Amino acid sequence: MTIAIRTLEDLTRPSATPDSPLATQEYFVNMGPQHPSTHGVLKLLLKLDGETVREVIPVLGYVHRGMEKVGEHLGYRQFVHMSDRMDYLSALMNNWAVSRAVETAMKIETNERIETIRTIMAELQRIQSHQLWWGVFGMDLGAFTPFLYGFRDREHVTDILEKTTGARLTMNYIQPGGLMFDLHPDFQKEVKEFIAYFRPKLKEYETLFSENVIVHKRVKGVGVLDAKTAISIGTTGPVLRASGVDYDLRKREPYGMYSKVKFEVALGTTGDTWDRYQVRIEEMKQSLSIIEQLIDNIPEGKTMLMKPGAKIKPPEGISYSHMETARGVLGIMLVSDGKDHRPYRIHLRTPNYNNIWSITHTAPGWRIADLVAILSSLDIVVPDMDR
Amino acid sequence: MGLVTEKLPIFLEPVPGGSVLLASMDKLINWARLNSLWPLTFGTSCCAIEVMMATGAPKHDIARFGAEVARPSPRQADVLVIAGTIVKRMAPTLRTLYEQMAEPRYVIATGSCAISGGPFVYGSYSTVRGADEIIPVDVYVPGCPPRPEGYFYGLLTLQKMIREGETLRHPGVRRKPVLAELPPGITMEDIRRDLVHLLEKEARVDLREAENATAESTERLLRSGNSSSLIRSTRD
Repeated sequence: MTIAIRTLEDLTRPSATPDSPLATQEYFVNMGPQHPSTHGVLKLLLKLDGETVREVIPVLGYVHRGMEKVGEHLGYRQFVHMSDRMDYLSALMNNWAVSRAVETAMKIETNERIETIRTIMAELQRIQSHQLWWGVFGMDLGAFTPFLYGFRDREHVTDILEKTTGARLTMNYIQPGGLMFDLHPDFQKEVKEFIAYFRPKLKEYETLFSENVIVHKRVKGVGVLDAKTAISIGTTGPVLRASGVDYDLRKREPYGMYSKVKFEVALGTTGDTWDRYQVRIEEMKQSLSIIEQLIDNIPEGKTMLMKPGAKIKPPEGISYSHMETARGVLGIMLVSDGKDHRPYRIHLRTPNYNNIWSITHTAPGWRIADLVAILSSLDIVVPDMDR
Repeated sequence: MGLVTEKLPIFLEPVPGGSVLLASMDKLINWARLNSLWPLTFGTSCCAIEVMMATGAPKHDIARFGAEVARPSPRQADVLVIAGTIVKRMAPTLRTLYEQMAEPRYVIATGSCAISGGPFVYGSYSTVRGADEIIPVDVYVPGCPPRPEGYFYGLLTLQKMIREGETLRHPGVRRKPVLAELPPGITMEDIRRDLVHLLEKEARVDLREAENATAESTERLLRSGNSSSLIRSTRD
């Protein structure tokens, strides 16, 4: 596959096929970095012909905080705090990925209690993240009610997580060698209550939004991403699975307790915006069933296997761990030189960085309003993209 | 006659045949301003979820304070809520947004990043250490991220500031209520000096030493077969 490097001159050249018989002029418009529907500070450089999008060029770096460099100044346990601030909507899964990388390097074997609690927490957070996405997706399409409904139910999960972890958003709960605290005594009861509460609500979501004719007209067949392109860009998570590629690390390389629970990988067929929507709704159902299978079977055991405050100094070498977060595969590579309690080098492979490039293939040919729907269906988190 | 007069900063003078409203113009204007603050939707990172979205949602409901009309355009907004990290690339945009807002404009900095750089004070080459390096900030709300209740406290503080604030005779002059004081014996200068000392210590690099260390470590890593075998195992 060859990659054509384009210059500014190539971009400004008018397209061969004008959209209308009227003499229209192509022009560039900046969408962002301060724009309500780019979910943060993403800038999209649009080449427009009337209202038709001819080309999209994502411009990144408006929240680039130098996460990889910051990590080189911090200890391994401290870097878990930083991972919270990367993809803040799946903070616990980011914590877990860092902890797993450190545990691989230190050759620590965790017990079943720790892994079970980690799995339950990760699935709760996946539901929480998808609830927020559902609300925001509705808002981007012009419906405000989904936002209110999504956040109403999201607060239930937030309360459960807050009771155990002590924080609403940046939890820093999963640590190398175990967990920060033990579970709250009410945890199991509350999670069961939440499952009983949320199952009917999920049906309500579908009657309210999924079966709405306006929604169908806005999303069906819009922004088709075929499987081949999706793989070549390196998209992961719901975006890739909506294109019909069965790639879920929870099934492929089971970690935690995923090998012991029964669940199905939600798959789309065509890879349009509607499929990406359906995949996430289905994932919420699967997450509920995973939690249901595990919540009564939390084994006894220690929740922290390392001495508190013990310095982590892995032996010389590279350790890599990857994990399925709510948005795709998060990979963390830690290089240790064996002398310092700080990593020698960190590399982060974040899901959104790859997922955003799919918009350069899906959006051209659609209107600006469709671009917003496509962008929203990618479920991007900008600090995760820019790191 | 349907007019709630209890909370208005006015005086009701009874005269034969009805009553006359007496009010100070400044107080009436400030009262109107503080109860309809329109925030600009400006969220860069994590704080945006807690401060911009969770507060607008049913549980916390910012509409109780009259600040739920979030505007995407700075020309229609009264208060700029900086929710998240400001990096050097975003700084000029933030300054432009602030300058596009109409007077009187207010700024709330929420979260550690917008106050001082937060967790990115040390070691980051791109973070702006606090939004007040670029634009004047009226109210700071600490937290990483702050809870929605914390943001509401900040909003109420801003309302208090506006109530006591500007007059027609002296526009632009703001009286800020003091809500927190430094402990006795410590001045702002001490804190600033400590911070500068730490930052200088962090930022100083001995180039020759660093080069030697890098070359040595890289060589050692390349020599050790450990690394390549690990990479291979994950590829399988």
